[in-house]
Amino acid sequence: MFRTVILCLVGILVVAAAGLSAPAPEVLFTSNQLTPVEEQEWARNTLLAGFSRETGIGVRFITEPEGPYVDRLLAEARAGRGFIDVTGTLHGIFPVLVAERVVRDMSDVQRQLEARRDRTFYPDLLAVSRMEGIQAFVPWMQATYLIAARREALRHFPQGRNPMRMTYDDLLQWGQNIREATGERRLGFPVGPRGLYGRFLHGYAYPSFTGAQVKKFRSPEAVAMWQYLRRLWGVTHPSSFRYEFMHEPLLLGEVWVAWDHTARLLPALRQRPEEFVVLPSPAGPKGRSFLSVVVGLSLTRWSPNPDGAVRLVEYLTRPATQVLTLQGVGFFPVSAEAARVVPTGGLKVMADGVSAQAGAPDARTALLPVGLGARTGEFVPIYVDTFRQIAIEGRRIEDVLASQARRLEELYRATNAPCPPPDPAERPCKPD
Amino acid sequence: MDLADGGHQQGKPRSEPTTPYLLVLPSAAYLVLFVFYPMVQAVLLSVTEPRTGTFTLEHLRRMVTDLHFWPALRYTVLITALAVPIQAALALAMALLINTRFPGHPYFLYVCAIPLAVSDLAAGLIWLSLFTERGYLNAILLRVGLLSSPFNFLSYESPGWLVGAIVATEVWRATAIVMVVLVAGLQLIPRDYAETAAVFGASAWRTLWHVTLPLLRSSLQTALIIRTVLAFQLFATVVTLSGRLVPVLAGETYFWYSLYRNPHVASAYATLVLLLSAAVTWVYLRTLRTPEEAA
Repeated sequence: MFRTVILCLVGILVVAAAGLSAPAPEVLFTSNQLTPVEEQEWARNTLLAGFSRETGIGVRFITEPEGPYVDRLLAEARAGRGFIDVTGTLHGIFPVLVAERVVRDMSDVQRQLEARRDRTFYPDLLAVSRMEGIQAFVPWMQATYLIAARREALRHFPQGRNPMRMTYDDLLQWGQNIREATGERRLGFPVGPRGLYGRFLHGYAYPSFTGAQVKKFRSPEAVAMWQYLRRLWGVTHPSSFRYEFMHEPLLLGEVWVAWDHTARLLPALRQRPEEFVVLPSPAGPKGRSFLSVVVGLSLTRWSPNPDGAVRLVEYLTRPATQVLTLQGVGFFPVSAEAARVVPTGGLKVMADGVSAQAGAPDARTALLPVGLGARTGEFVPIYVDTFRQIAIEGRRIEDVLASQARRLEELYRATNAPCPPPDPAERPCKPD
Repeated sequence: MDLADGGHQQGKPRSEPTTPYLLVLPSAAYLVLFVFYPMVQAVLLSVTEPRTGTFTLEHLRRMVTDLHFWPALRYTVLITALAVPIQAALALAMALLINTRFPGHPYFLYVCAIPLAVSDLAAGLIWLSLFTERGYLNAILLRVGLLSSPFNFLSYESPGWLVGAIVATEVWRATAIVMVVLVAGLQLIPRDYAETAAVFGASAWRTLWHVTLPLLRSSLQTALIIRTVLAFQLFATVVTLSGRLVPVLAGETYFWYSLYRNPHVASAYATLVLLLSAAVTWVYLRTLRTPEEAA
């Protein structure tokens, strides 16, 4: 009996040792996207389960907030070896990963994918995937930010104006009309600590009012913008400072008109598609600026299972998977073939809003800042802190802009980073 | 002490002195590895220049000049100063009540201890669902006719209500831990003291003041140290209820690490929390010192 047990144990050890030398039938995939619990569950049970069924390769999916996510990659890079095969993150984080030699050049993978002739990646997405002389990622998903509103709120929209061509003045008037009619402030923004209001400030308001994200930080146009934002805050729901995902106050009815990331509005549209409309972000004196968010996939330089990793990238960028991703979590496809599939329900409402925003004659695309390296995380708080001092604490606009512009200038000087579009190409970027 | 005495009785005094050290070795190793080492590392991170590895005060300067630093320090001290005395007083009252052994007191104890099992984030969410515009509190007040339209308790225009909501949540969540420590302390006090006081005609109030409280001093000290140190680490409930409008030190530590991706300034905040906790513990140990003869 005892001998049988020993023999079994030895057998297990031999098999395990053989397993160590053979390529592991598993891919480790990390991301800072799809972090909400529902999205994680969907990614594991639907998206990646499909890949495992098809290929027999298991996928371990680790998704976590940006801080630990990047640290995990950097720790493996510094150790020179590790377990992560594939990583998927925002285009704005890739410069850090390229600088720290985390990700490899994806040109060959891109060529393999294009040779299949079933997916035509949008050229503008491929353009942003190239940095420091390499292709840092294969485009995976894209998203944007726009406005979702309750249908009943449209009754209060300024008379004779078109919501699909909304201006910032219309938005303010809308909020005022609602306040006069109901006595309540029903506009909402995600100003909470993990909310994305900072993106509204640097990617939407600034370029729409001043034509630039950084260059015109303390220009007279910027002063006019901050005066406007102060008035807008006056008709914004007073709990906005703790909102992080706008679908929650929208569904509760605390907020009727909300601006947020598509994925953070979608749950509301999905639950009650007939109650909401999606509208483009407003236009200012310098056009209708909006941020295009690109999420990319890349292999680590030390990937223990590069073949499995490439197969995962192929699966995730395949048009059928892209449609599945749109339906599951509301991230939009990166290829024309996948975009041809017409969605239904809440997604249709969302897709209409997205194309109205991108297709507007005065549309201007802004991109997330790149090149700030390890200090990328400091960019957005400069704008949010400016907002806090001007709108919440009521400090003098010119003084706040002068001191915050110094922080912005120091950040760009220290990192020698270029201005983010639509600012003029200039390195290091310097606010006038 | 006890171990050494035990060794003496067994008549093997020479080999025994190592036993106590062996017994504390696992916890000592744990403390060194998981408490002391990270602590040293945090302090080092907060004064190290990341590129060159040299000493710098730059991170401390950035912390102190940050927009949120002084409000965070102020609010942390304010919330602690409001919540801890309320918790101590309430917990003492509850513990004394339980110590009267009234019928059903075990159930009272269990019910009061329930919040102990709730994580601080969950506690924050529970109280958030009470205080929002569409929350339970507004629903009740509207139903009974005390309000004609919902009142916004969590508004940037009324920081008083925000701090009040945070203190209420903290009192609800953490009074139980103080109570449990005090109940244990009360049960250690022999009944004879109170009976003797009664024989000499002391009123209940005088007995409490001159007999029970002095004997409860070391338990009170432990409870206050635990509560105050934990109050400096207060984070999830505050962020849930107030976002960053009411900044606190532990919250800033988290934001500097996870939003700004700057572990150095985050460590500077963590070191500050450490120093504050150590200072407060020292003050408690000094002021609530147990007299030698009572120990």
